[in-house]
Amino acid sequence: MPPILQSSEVAYRYPQNNRGLVPVSLSLERGQPLLVAGTSGCGKSTLARCLTGLIPHLYHGKLSGSVRLDGLPTARTPLWHLAERAGLVFQNPAAQMLGETVEQEIIFGLENLGLPPDVIGQRMAEALERFGLEPLAGRPPQTLSGGEQQKLALAAIMARRPPVLVLDEPLSMLDGTAAVELVAYLDTLAAEEDTAVVVCEHREEYLSNVTGLGILRLGNGQPPSTGDLPALAPGGLPGPGGEQYVLEVEGLTVELGGRPVLEDLDFRAGSGEVVAIVGRNGVGKTTLLRSLAGLQKHEGHITMGGGHPDLGLVFQNADLQLFNASVREEILYRVPEPDMALYRWLLAGLGLDRYEEMPPLLLSEGEKKRVALATVMMRRPRHGLLLDEPSLGQDTAHKERLMRVAHALARAGRLVILTTHDLTLAAAADRLMLLGPAGFVADGPPAAVLDDATAWAELGLSVPDWLVRPRPDGREGP
Amino acid sequence: MIRLGIAGRTRSLALVENSPLRRADPRTKLALSLCASLAVMLSLEKLAAFMVLYAVLLLWARLLPEAARQVWRLKWVLLVLFIVDWLVVSRELAVVITLRLILLAGAFALFFATTTPGELRLALEWMRVPYRYAFSLSIAFQSVGLLDDEWRAIREAQQARGAWVPPTGWRYLVSKVGDLVSLAVPAIVMTTKRAWAMTEAAYARGFDSPRRRPYRQLRMGRLDWILLIGTVAVAAALLLWR
Repeated sequence: MPPILQSSEVAYRYPQNNRGLVPVSLSLERGQPLLVAGTSGCGKSTLARCLTGLIPHLYHGKLSGSVRLDGLPTARTPLWHLAERAGLVFQNPAAQMLGETVEQEIIFGLENLGLPPDVIGQRMAEALERFGLEPLAGRPPQTLSGGEQQKLALAAIMARRPPVLVLDEPLSMLDGTAAVELVAYLDTLAAEEDTAVVVCEHREEYLSNVTGLGILRLGNGQPPSTGDLPALAPGGLPGPGGEQYVLEVEGLTVELGGRPVLEDLDFRAGSGEVVAIVGRNGVGKTTLLRSLAGLQKHEGHITMGGGHPDLGLVFQNADLQLFNASVREEILYRVPEPDMALYRWLLAGLGLDRYEEMPPLLLSEGEKKRVALATVMMRRPRHGLLLDEPSLGQDTAHKERLMRVAHALARAGRLVILTTHDLTLAAAADRLMLLGPAGFVADGPPAAVLDDATAWAELGLSVPDWLVRPRPDGREGP
Repeated sequence: MIRLGIAGRTRSLALVENSPLRRADPRTKLALSLCASLAVMLSLEKLAAFMVLYAVLLLWARLLPEAARQVWRLKWVLLVLFIVDWLVVSRELAVVITLRLILLAGAFALFFATTTPGELRLALEWMRVPYRYAFSLSIAFQSVGLLDDEWRAIREAQQARGAWVPPTGWRYLVSKVGDLVSLAVPAIVMTTKRAWAMTEAAYARGFDSPRRRPYRQLRMGRLDWILLIGTVAVAAALLLWR
């Protein structure tokens, strides 16, 4: 059988930052699943664009080598013709929504195939049913949760029935259950419907059970060395200086658009802790962090050290926080008498040394998030840090770096609270809290909470078999 | 290649679902709005009379509150123009100009409060506007409400890192104009990125396909014909009456 997708030494360089993709050759037959793995910034998204023809049709950097899709050379075939053969689901589903409603989102791609209206109606109904989107058919896509948007993005592509499906980090915004469901669907798609599936993904553990999965590793295949976290002079990390503060949250209630998001939430957390909060998409994790940072109107009391907590919030979307011409300027922006030892420590600890003079907006999503974290830390928030989904776009090595920085902060007497879908990150915290629609359903050391099957079932989530559990003494491993 | 407009989430103009005009063909509503706009050439007395007639139409269409809301949003512009015209020219001109602007805002409200971006696109295509431009315009229309949300999110994010402090007092405001960079740059970047992401998403689903065939077709109903005949009659009367 001739390959449906073939690349021969395809390589690409973006004109603005000289980054891109090193030469890649691959060959894929119908029904074959392929995982493209690699470290942050190794070119996975670029490869996805090369395979579907967006490069070179929409990008004008330097392309070499060739890609053939269903026998057609992508560089010389009109994009609409290629789009009929390969569907691409992008990393951020919210940004790719074009329709006013869920139905219209699906219809858009079907209209472009030139199908008669009755066939469009039929295929739309099938897609809604298949992806469980019928109850949401009339809703604007932007009002859906991240998991629902991901399903819709996939439904809109799969209704077009392309023989090749390419997904760029499809699991990054999904909670554990939604990620497992998506992987099961992709497995079926490849095995039973003869679709070639290419998944570019950091969270490769989730794909380990896919039948006949091929793996292509970009880069040198080795994770970058994280090195040791450099030492910082005592007192270099801004902290409460030996004082112990307790964050007290009582009766926290938040309504958004008339809908209760958090109801009567109570908890306490002390300085010196790294707390991970895990919950399903849309359960209110971000709203909780916004409330703790003083950005969200709420009912109830939030105090730390007798007043409102001074906790720096690092947003999920780093683009909101970055605007300077270089990483250095960004981190030092409006910091009175900056502590340059802390600055150097942050650059080294977060793996940003080599980007110091680069514009932050040209960095990868994961790198930008680390710059945003450094900018907030340089401000020296008195009580600690709040990190909203810090693992997005980070490979394993950089997740490790993040957690080491978080623990260093905790040792300096600060409180670090992070929300995450990534259980490897959660397992590395000091304390794990599971947030459900009715409040926290479990709270304790990660080793104990990860083994609390009842709590996970109540949440509608599960702990994957491959997760390395921390030992009760806090160390990783069996 | 064409770059698409900003992505949409909410509409700054609320869609009035219970209006009888909500079910009307967008072409009819466009004709109605254009006809109402024609009345700006009338003299003060005739303009006032026409506005009463137009208000009755809005009342029937259950659009009077929405039109009033749109006019209220323009209150400062209207007030400044009224004062300047009165001081520079005459009170009569000030009243005429103000009424004309109110009428235009009402005409705008009639169309956009009862028409979805998709319907706007179909109407534009019927008017022979190339699909790619009609689609871009409809996406831009769909996106207006998102700008407010994004601006708020950026302000909060900058506040969280200490790069922007909410201004208080006019002197402080002047000194903080420079701070706008910290808001404007992310706003431009996010808008550009969103536009690019949508462009990619559209092309990845065959946006430029010559085979495109619309799912929905525009159809004129009885209400449309009645409204259209009425509109033509009023437009003719306006041209003769002025």
